Amino acid sequence: MKLQHHLGGLEAVGPVSTDIRVFVEDWETRIFGIHSAMMALSTQLDLPETPSSFRTIWTWADLRKGAEAMNPFEYFKYRYYEKWLGGISGYFIENDYITEEELDALTEEYLADPDKPLPEVNVAPIDERVIQYLTVGDSPKRDVTVSYDFEAGDKVVVADPPSVAHSRVPGFMRGLTCEVEKVYDGAYVYLCDIEEDGIGPAMPCYTVGVSADEIWPNNVEPNVTVFADLYAGYLKSPEYA
Amino acid sequence: MANLFEYDSDREKQSAARAKALEALLITKGIITDKTVDQVLDFFETRMGPFNGAKIVARAWMDPDFKQKLVEDTPAAIEELGLGDFMAGAEGEHMRAVANEPGVHNIIICTLCSCYPWPVLGLPPYWYKDPAFRSRAAREPRAVLKEFGVDVPEEVHVKLWDSSAQIRWFVIPERPEGTEGMSEEELAALVTPESMMGVALAKAA
Repeated sequence: MKLQHHLGGLEAVGPVSTDIRVFVEDWETRIFGIHSAMMALSTQLDLPETPSSFRTIWTWADLRKGAEAMNPFEYFKYRYYEKWLGGISGYFIENDYITEEELDALTEEYLADPDKPLPEVNVAPIDERVIQYLTVGDSPKRDVTVSYDFEAGDKVVVADPPSVAHSRVPGFMRGLTCEVEKVYDGAYVYLCDIEEDGIGPAMPCYTVGVSADEIWPNNVEPNVTVFADLYAGYLKSPEYA
Repeated sequence: MANLFEYDSDREKQSAARAKALEALLITKGIITDKTVDQVLDFFETRMGPFNGAKIVARAWMDPDFKQKLVEDTPAAIEELGLGDFMAGAEGEHMRAVANEPGVHNIIICTLCSCYPWPVLGLPPYWYKDPAFRSRAAREPRAVLKEFGVDVPEEVHVKLWDSSAQIRWFVIPERPEGTEGMSEEELAALVTPESMMGVALAKAA
């Protein structure tokens, strides 16, 4: 069991943050920008080729897998963009774009002289593709024929797949009987195939809802309904559950 | 375990230097350019941001037909406003709006990560990404809202929408009282990102 899959419902974590800032340190903006560029240059996208030497796939799934692989105590220790900095640096090292040694050495140089300027390299098509990605996005919707096993109002049971590298089932929904609130038109892929978990290929998506009291009986505020968007691969009919 | 939570005094300096070193290496190796990161940040300052969501909500307050369409077919309603060709772009490819009304209060969460409707609201604030918020909001939403300064009585039905698949959600808050004579532009100024995620109410200034 991974704590990162089961955050919903965890008790005694103290007051929530009410900080409305998006970034709390200037450096966080830089790692966000790098991530966006990687998303845009990722090779699975149907966007114009560029001279960029980025030759691999980077999606939200890669970032999420990294966060879900962390020691759960470290997950709480590090701030949001600290996790990104660790995950993204690690990705570039693992995929042989850079070495840990050169990153460490250059980090020392910038520690000694934080105002040392960045190198100057101008390649317009790279920056054009980044804006194209932000503008058109990367819809998971696919034009394939699928069958819909459920309609709004049906009861469904949420799967409890084995704990693997990545999942899109909120832990507190696992095994629960819910009601379908909405069936979405079309079929949706997930960013990567997580075979044992159940998603990846194009399939229907549903919003399902359940009273919070069913999730945490006698240990919850009254009059609360929780809805989640779930891929069909996570849902079973109560007859077969 | 105490060691695990020690905070190095130069933690931010280290991270700043490492982020700059990484950006410099990516530029040198031909992955990105020296303008890439600034250009992304500018995109979220000027194009995708909460100023779009504020305009969408203000129109919904002015025009009940638009509001109904925004709930029933969110992308089509947003497209009508002509806010830009990026309004169905990254992290807004599939969006859905839910409306607060007397007796119903909606909250958007992402318990697994930080899914957020970028074209409408820009990038997620720290409170939304906070593990404590993601842990507590579904089980005790009123206690959480109280920490944000919002009182939601027990007779109000709280609906939480967990962004766990393709949909990016936002809330149409209720139009505040005392705003009857206001223009659409004046109304938009009352709409905060927090009110569009359900942890604040829109208030007349």
